[in-house]
This record gives sequence, structure tokens and C-alpha cells, in this order.
Amino acid sequence: MKNIDILVDNATCLRGDNLIFDNISFNLSNGEILFIMGPNGCGKTTLIRSLCGIQHLENGCIKINNVNINNPECNFLENLVYIGHNDSLSENLTTYENLEYLNKFDLSNKDEFISNPNKFLKFFDISKYKNYLVSELSQGNKKKVALSRLLFTNKKIWVLDEPLSFLDEDSKNNLIKLFLDHITNGGLIVTSTHIDFSNYFEKSKYLNMKGININE
Amino acid sequence: MNSIIFKKEIYTYFRNLNYIFLPLIFFFLVISIFPLVIGPNKSLIAKIIPGIIWITIIFTSLLSSSNFFKDDYNNGIIEMYLTSEKSIEFILFLKIIICWFFTIFPIIIFIPIVSIMFNISLHTLTTIFLTLLLGTPVLVSIGIFGSALTMGISKNNILGPIITVPFYIPVLIFSASAIESVSNGLPYDLQIYVLLSILLLILPTMPYLLKYTLRISINN
Repeated sequence: MKNIDILVDNATCLRGDNLIFDNISFNLSNGEILFIMGPNGCGKTTLIRSLCGIQHLENGCIKINNVNINNPECNFLENLVYIGHNDSLSENLTTYENLEYLNKFDLSNKDEFISNPNKFLKFFDISKYKNYLVSELSQGNKKKVALSRLLFTNKKIWVLDEPLSFLDEDSKNNLIKLFLDHITNGGLIVTSTHIDFSNYFEKSKYLNMKGININE
Repeated sequence: MNSIIFKKEIYTYFRNLNYIFLPLIFFFLVISIFPLVIGPNKSLIAKIIPGIIWITIIFTSLLSSSNFFKDDYNNGIIEMYLTSEKSIEFILFLKIIICWFFTIFPIIIFIPIVSIMFNISLHTLTTIFLTLLLGTPVLVSIGIFGSALTMGISKNNILGPIITVPFYIPVLIFSASAIESVSNGLPYDLQIYVLLSILLLILPTMPYLLKYTLRISINN
């Protein structure tokens, strides 16, 4: 199994003249989950985006396996799947087509989805929406389609922005089950959340975006 | 093999037919209004109609390309592209070609109808046709570039066109010059070659340029 370490050191982010967050530090390794918590507007999404390399940091660095992610030789995207609060779904495609499209962008697992799509659609109970346009789905179902990406990826690092929003009770439990599976298989999860579900996990870390303290 | 990638781009237009018809109808509305303003002077209209066609094409291409990335940006698809290890240059290239094919190419096909309306000679028509075929893909790619630059700004409706229109000028100058040469009975191959070289310079480099622009714009 591949060992992966994420190290965030003194990350500071400015947007214009506004300080979004400063001096955020944490580290995370295989089998751990990090909950980023805090009130609205405290920079959770920005921190998550900077972990994926699409947000520039003013100060500090993010290293994955001791290589700075800004280094062009660091192909950390091979190991990372990011699901933002926008679901990355095209309104003009059906549920199935969207997942087929997203599957194309995930080189870690080529054709498992194509060969047996129903298995993946069943997990979040969206089989009956297979041929619906995504623009016709409700918010919760869109979220479920977006999260279905996690089912057919082999990537180790999951970076998720508010994965629980809009989900019903059953889907929440399914998702937590999925998280537990991933963690036991040595994966890493970074997620921002308003709902504390850390009691399901043995090794969970908190990042409270108001103060900068990490409690094991 | 990449069929779903094709499908996604094509369905954007097929499932939103107004993306195809809006430019077409806009073009014909504007073109048919001109004679009403200029008056029934046949020789004057025949002289200026190639220019009018070109100006209308420019506004039409602005219409279709200035908000090109808006949907993909709002839906988080651009974020998905940039956080995927797959290289996206080919997809961006496809996007340019398909945008041109569904918004500008239908207009080019209907240009002969315009030539009947305005009594354009066959020789001039062929030149207009040729300059449009070579010039409009450049206009569309530059317009798309402008939309990539201003994608992250929420009220970007005017900034994109202001940035991009100056870059349309070389294409415009050489097209106008080619059309003028042919109506004066002069050779026009030089201008066509220049247009062709601009096209061959812009089309292959634009996807790479777009990728870096998207990366900067998403940072906002």
C-alpha cells in the first residue's frame, strides 16, 4: 500500500486585501480523516481549494509526500479526487452520461463504471434517475450523483467540500459507511462539514478554522 | 473512445437549440435591417455589404463566445478539469471547434441567401466565403479566450468584449482587403495566405493558452 502524507505548513491566504485564513498547519497520513469546521465564511472552501492546487497561497506551503504541490514534478492529482460544493455536473447531460464523463477524467480506474454502471447507481439509490437530465434532479439527488464519483475512483486522497449538505438520512449513513471503508483501506479524507460525525471514526482530526488548534 | 467527451460538447448545443438559433436569427435580423437604413441604392449596398456581413459576424461571435465558460464555471466543471490528472488541451480544442461549428458555421452556410438578397457577384461571394471560413475560427477562439480571462468575475458582461475586440482587427483588415481586391479585379491570394497563417497559428496554440488562463482565472 502506498504511503501518503499531507503536510500543510503555515498556510496563509489573501483574496484581494482580505485575509481569508492565516497560519493554518496540520498534517494527515494514511487512514486519517480531517474535519474542517467553522462558521460560514471562515475560509473552509478556500483551504480545500488550495489543497487541490487551484487556490494560490500567499504564504506557507502544502506538501504531499514531502513534495510541494506547486512543484510541476509533483503529480499529486493522480492521487487526489476533489468534489466541490458545485457538483461538477453538466446540466445538459443525464445522470449516466455525467458519471461516464466524470469517469473519463479519473485515470485511476478506467472502465469499472462503464462495465457495470447499475452497481454504482444503486449505492446512493439513484438508479431510477439514470436517464434523467441533471437539470431535472433535486439538489439532494445532484449531490448524490456527484458523490457517486467516490465509488469508482481508486485515488487515495478525497478532498470534499460539504459532502453532507442536502443529503437525506439514509444517504448520509451510506456516505459515512463509504468513508469508513476508505479509511480502513488506508485512504485519507479531508472534508469540511457543519455536522460532527467524528464519533464514527477512530482516528479523526479536527481543524477549527476560528482558532488554529488541532485536537487528536 | 472519447465519445462521451464529444457528446458532452455536442449536447450542450443540441439540448439548448437556442444556442444554435440565436446567432443565426440575430445575424439575419441585423443584415436585413441595413438596407432599410441605407436606402434602396443598389450600387452602394453592393459595395458595403461585405463589410456589413463581417461586422455582423463579429457581433454574433461575441454573442456566442463571451459567456462561453460561464456554465462550466458555475457548475464546477472547470474546477473538475483543473483537479484532474487528465490533460485538457484536447477538450479545449474540441470546445472551440464545436462552438464555431454550431454558432458560426450555420451562418456561413446561409451566406449565399444573403448574396441573393443583396445582389453580390459570385466572385465576391466566393471570397467572402473563404475569408469567413478562415477568419471566424480565429474570432471564436479569441472570444473564448476573453471569456476564460473574465470567467471568475461575476459581472463580466462587458470586460470580455473590450479585451478581445482589438485582437479581431488583424483578421478584419486582411479579410476586408481581400474582398476589396477581388471587387477591383486584383489578385487576393496574399491576404488569404495571411488569414490562413493566422488561423494555423491561433488554433493549435489557443488550447494551451486557455489552460493557463483558466488556471489563473479560477484563482480569482
